[in-house]
Formats: sequence, C-alpha cells, structure tokens
Amino acid sequence: MIESLTLPAASDSEVNESQWAVETRGLTKRFGENVAVNGVELLVPRGCAFGYLGPNGAGKTTLIRVLLGLTHADAGTMFLLGHKVPRHRDKALARVGAIVDEPRFHGHLTGRQNLQILAAAREPEARHRIGPSLERVGILHRADDKVSKYSMGMRQRLGVAACLIGNPQLLILDEPMNGLDPAGMQDMREMILSLVAEGRTVVLSSHLLDEVERTCDAVAIVDRGSVVRQGPISELLAGASLKLQVECSDPDRARALIAATAIGADDGAEVTADPTGLGVTLSAGTGREVIAEINRLLVEGGIAVYRLQVIQASLESWFLQVTSRLGSSE
Amino acid sequence: MTTLSDVGATGPTPVPASRVDVAPDRRGSWIPTGGMIATRFMELRRRRGLMITLILVTIGIPTVFLTIRLLLHAFAPKTYGPAGGYSIYTAFVSGVLYVLGFIVAATLGATAGSADLTDGMFRHLVVTGRSRLALYVARIPAGLAVIVPLVAVGFTIVCAVCVFASPTRLSFNGVNVPVNLSRAGLEGWAADHADEVICNFGIRIGPSTPNAATLNAVLNSVPCKNGPGGGPGPNVNQPAGPQGQPQPSQTQIGETASLIAGMNYSDYARQFLYPSNSLMIKSGLWLELEAVIGFVVALGLGSLIGQRTVAVIMMIVLEVVLTPILSRARIPHLLNLQRAVVGLATAHLAPGGLPVLGGGGGGPTGGSGNPGLLPESTIVAVCVIIAWLVGWTILGAWRMMTRDA
Repeated sequence: MIESLTLPAASDSEVNESQWAVETRGLTKRFGENVAVNGVELLVPRGCAFGYLGPNGAGKTTLIRVLLGLTHADAGTMFLLGHKVPRHRDKALARVGAIVDEPRFHGHLTGRQNLQILAAAREPEARHRIGPSLERVGILHRADDKVSKYSMGMRQRLGVAACLIGNPQLLILDEPMNGLDPAGMQDMREMILSLVAEGRTVVLSSHLLDEVERTCDAVAIVDRGSVVRQGPISELLAGASLKLQVECSDPDRARALIAATAIGADDGAEVTADPTGLGVTLSAGTGREVIAEINRLLVEGGIAVYRLQVIQASLESWFLQVTSRLGSSE
Repeated sequence: MTTLSDVGATGPTPVPASRVDVAPDRRGSWIPTGGMIATRFMELRRRRGLMITLILVTIGIPTVFLTIRLLLHAFAPKTYGPAGGYSIYTAFVSGVLYVLGFIVAATLGATAGSADLTDGMFRHLVVTGRSRLALYVARIPAGLAVIVPLVAVGFTIVCAVCVFASPTRLSFNGVNVPVNLSRAGLEGWAADHADEVICNFGIRIGPSTPNAATLNAVLNSVPCKNGPGGGPGPNVNQPAGPQGQPQPSQTQIGETASLIAGMNYSDYARQFLYPSNSLMIKSGLWLELEAVIGFVVALGLGSLIGQRTVAVIMMIVLEVVLTPILSRARIPHLLNLQRAVVGLATAHLAPGGLPVLGGGGGGPTGGSGNPGLLPESTIVAVCVIIAWLVGWTILGAWRMMTRDA
C-alpha cells in the first residue's frame, strides 16, 4: 500500500527561497506505454545527505535524468535550489554537480584535460578549482594520466571531481560507490559527509543500503516510478516492525503460549519457532513493555528463557519490508 | 504514515535558503566562450590517430609525391621533367587536395559531432547548465582551427614546389615557346620558327579563310617529320583543295606561321610555367571553402545520427560517387534537384583553369565554363552552399538540443 503524501502549499513563482534543494510535484516521465516516473512528489532538504533508494528498474536514474535536464519531463514541476527547471535550468545547474550512471570521459585525454573541458563550460572560476578537486578525491597524482588507463574506481573519483569544480550546493550522485574498493568506499563516505558538513546537499542514489544508512540523514524509496516512502531514516526505522529473538528451553510450547495471547493475535505479529529458539515479529509502534510481557508469559508458563534480544531494524530490512509489502499488495 | 510535511518538520535541519550568487557567465547564451572553443580544439587535437591520418592525407601525400618527383628530376633530368609546374599544380589542386581535403574535413567534422556522445562526455557537459546550442557552436571554430591550417599547409607545399621547381621553358604542342608573349610577340616569334609552328600548332582553315589557297600551298610545302615525304603533313584541319601550286616564298611561310600562331594564341595564353599568384590565392580559398563545407556538413550529420563511422561513409559516398554523377548527368525533371548538390555548386566556383570533378577541364571563365558540368549560375551556387552550411548546422544543433543525454 502506498501511503498518502501531504504537500506543503504550492509555490507558483519560478524562483523561490525554498528550504528544499530538490522539490518536485507530480513529476512524470513516460517511455511509450511505460511510465518510468509516475507523479513523483519529492522534497530534499538543503544541507543533508539524502538517499534515493529503489529496486532495479524503479525509475531512480530516470528521475535524476529528468531533474538534470538530460531528458524532458512529460508532466509536473520541479525546482532545483529554488530555481524552476527547465526554464531556469542554467541558473539551477550552475550550482549542481552530478554523476549519472557510470562516469565516462574522453579516454584519449588526461583527467585534468577532461576537467578543463567541463570547467570551460562553467564559470571562469571553475578552472581554478580543478587542482583542488582532483586532490580532494585523491587522484591528483594520476591527473595527467590518460583516462583510458584509469580503473573504474578512479573514473568514479574523477566524476566526483567533475562535480566539485562547479562548487556545487547540490550534488546528485548515482551509484558513486560502484567500482570502489573498501578503502575507496570509506573515502567516498567520508567525503560525502564532509561535503554535507560544508552545508552542501548530497543526493545519493545507491543499491548499497548499508552505505546509505551510514551516510544519509534521510531517504526516499522509489518503486515502479513512484516515491512510496520518504523521511529521516531514524523516523522511518522507528516505524518499522519490532523483532525479538528468544532463546528458550521449549520453543514450540513458547510459540503456542504467545499465539494464544492478545500479543499473538495482533495483525502485525508473527511468531516462528525453530530448535534454537523463538522469533517474534511485532507490529510497528509496539512499546517496550510488550517485551517484558512476553518474558513474563514464558517464565510463568514454566519455560526457561536464556536470552531475549531485540533485533534492531536496519535500513535494508526495512527496505525489503516496504518493497515486499508493496509487491504482495498487488 | 509518513508525510512530506513530516520530513520538513523532523528531518535534518535544512540549511536556511541562501541564494548562492554565481558570477554572471552568460551560461544560457548560445555564444560559446573562448575557453570552450579552446578546450574543444584541444580535445580534437589530442586525438592522435585522427590527427596523424589527417596530416598524412593533407600534407603527407603531396609531400611524398612531390619529393619523389624532385628526386627523379634531380637524378635523371632528361627522363623526368621538373617536379612542379602549372599542370602539376592544377592536377594536385583539383584532383587531390580538393577531394582529400573534403574527406579529411568530413572525418574531423563527424568526429567532432559525435565524440561527446560516444565517449559519454555529453552528459557531463549538459549538467554544467551551459546552453546546448553553445556546446554545438563551439565545435565549429575549434574544428576549423584544426582543418583550415592543415589544408593550408598541404596547399602551400604544392604551391611552393610548383612555383620553385617549375619548368624553365613552356612546351606548347611539343614546341618550346617563350612564356608571357603578347599576340604580336607570339606571331613574331612564330615567323622566326615557322617550320616548328606549321608542323605542330593546330591549324583551322575553312572556306572563309582568306588566302586559303596560299595557305594550303605553304602547308603542303613544309617538310615535317610526320608530314610531306613521310606522313600526313602539318596538324591541319582544312578542306580539300587544288594541288600542284608553285613553291611559296620564305616570306609567305613566315606569314603563314604568324597566322597559325594567332589562331593558337587563346590556347597559348592559358599556358603557364607555374600558377600565378592570383590563381594560387583563389585556389587556396576555394580549397578552404571545400574543407569548411565538408567539416560543417559532417559535423551536423555526425550530431544528427550520433556516430562517426556512418557519417564519414555517407560523406565519402556523397563526394566520390554522387557528386560526380549528379553534376554531369542530365536527369529529366530532376535538374533543379541536381543543382542543389553542394559539390556541383563548389565546382562552379572553382578558379579558372582548374579542371574539376574528375576531369573535363575548367575554362578561363572558371568552373562555370566547364562544358561537362550541369549549368548553374554563380548566385545559385552561392545560395546552395549557404543553404547546406546553414541547414546542416541547424539540423545538428537541433538534434543536440533535443537529444536525451
């Protein structure tokens, strides 16, 4: 089930002082009969790291391409950094950096020369940022090598450097961790956090949910072209179901005991037993007192409880929960 | 339920909306900056394989060919004539540089028109917010800055060899004749070299020719190597006349030679040891025009179809196959369409004296005087060329502006 979204009052002006780095209303993009982006309502706060998640083919990259003017939207309005696009696309993109899909460059040129081409298309000051940008992403020592000799990870870094030469207030990074080794992923994570600390907004589209959880403050989940959930990660996870792992002497009898109570009869509850213990899933919003109640039930029923552990909901489990629920509802 | 309002209320504290002022850089303007042109020039120039090919074709081929001719003439001057000269010049300009310059320019144009797409840079460039039209327009001066000097260098080498290694004597119909003679001068020289002139120069005698009988008598009396006593006589085009006339005097022979020289003066006047400065300047500009057309059209075509190889093949087919056919064939009901072929229009603007489109010979009036070409006025030719340049630029730019990146 897709939850309803409540929008703030619409702004008719073409340039506004919005607190949102990205603001879309009813954004739609079709490819023939296929609706790749379906009435997306997205609000990305300024100055945060924002994760943009979704299964393959959910329309993540298409939305990014529409936002950046790489392809046109069929319906809806959008603002980048307060500028209405595509009408004020030049002003909006002046402070936007982006990597879309795999970053590719002229292979016969060096990394520095590729950035010179991009800097020439930006404001005159951009060329002075080439060196610092290369240094920041850690490839200054290879800046004068041809890009054809770069690894995938180095091209990713060069892509980020290409974003940085515009001194962007908004960075849109599509799968920036692709091709990076663990150390590179750590570097990228730290860099994203440092960019956010500088007051920039980073929109991170990624399949690596663990990375997103560690890097981002808020996320949106997109599925089949629509944003189905969005908000701060802490709030979204607070709305996830609660999982308990119970090690006890008689799991089968324990399952029967709990199932016979009001706890087990709850719609969102699920109790499973295996030889090592009991798994209890409780509906979202269940209070901590329920955990104590389960413990009391088992002990009073003569079942020895060896361990009772709350499994913290991760972004990954929540993501799977949301997307599987959506899938099962159809 | 998660709402967008909640996101705003409880999410990460949004940074107060601060308008980041960007120095005005006319990013939306269609006019590219100097930096864009310079970096685009660099991008093309750094394509090593392409540049080597361009240099080999535009400079290497003339250089190698002329060097071989220079060496052959240096070591065996009696067997091999001078490396340069007027005929070598016309052959090179209209037969080699004209076609190869176009193909080379087309290759560069197709590369410039499609490289960003195939290399994946187009997306990065679009994200800068720079006008797509400006991105396209920047390629034109950048590409011309590559191809125009290349054609100029190749042409300069041809000019230099043709001028400085030209023959010292003019061979007109196999006779060594002084150069730059006036009509009177040629007639006077002919009187002193009567036998050579009568035996080798072309003669046109008709019923209305004055003193035709005397002329025939002179022609029949001159002993040519391939004439009386051994062959058909002088190179003559005359009606049958009475034979058995008295032997002409030496004065009559001289007067006849002068008359024949006068008949040949218009052909002689078009013979030079080496090309004139005027012809070289006009030829150079004409070759550059051809290169510009090749580049701009291929740039638009490359941008339109988004790949280089097909665009280059199409341009070669246009230049080598379609243009020669459509410029000479008279296809009923399609003549005006044939006149819209840019190669025909360019051929009509060829400087005088240059044979174009695979031979046929230009005339003193220029390519328009070439009887083999489909007739076309200069104004129409200019309009056709402008239409091709503007039309393909619009097509290429339109595709770039509307293409999904």
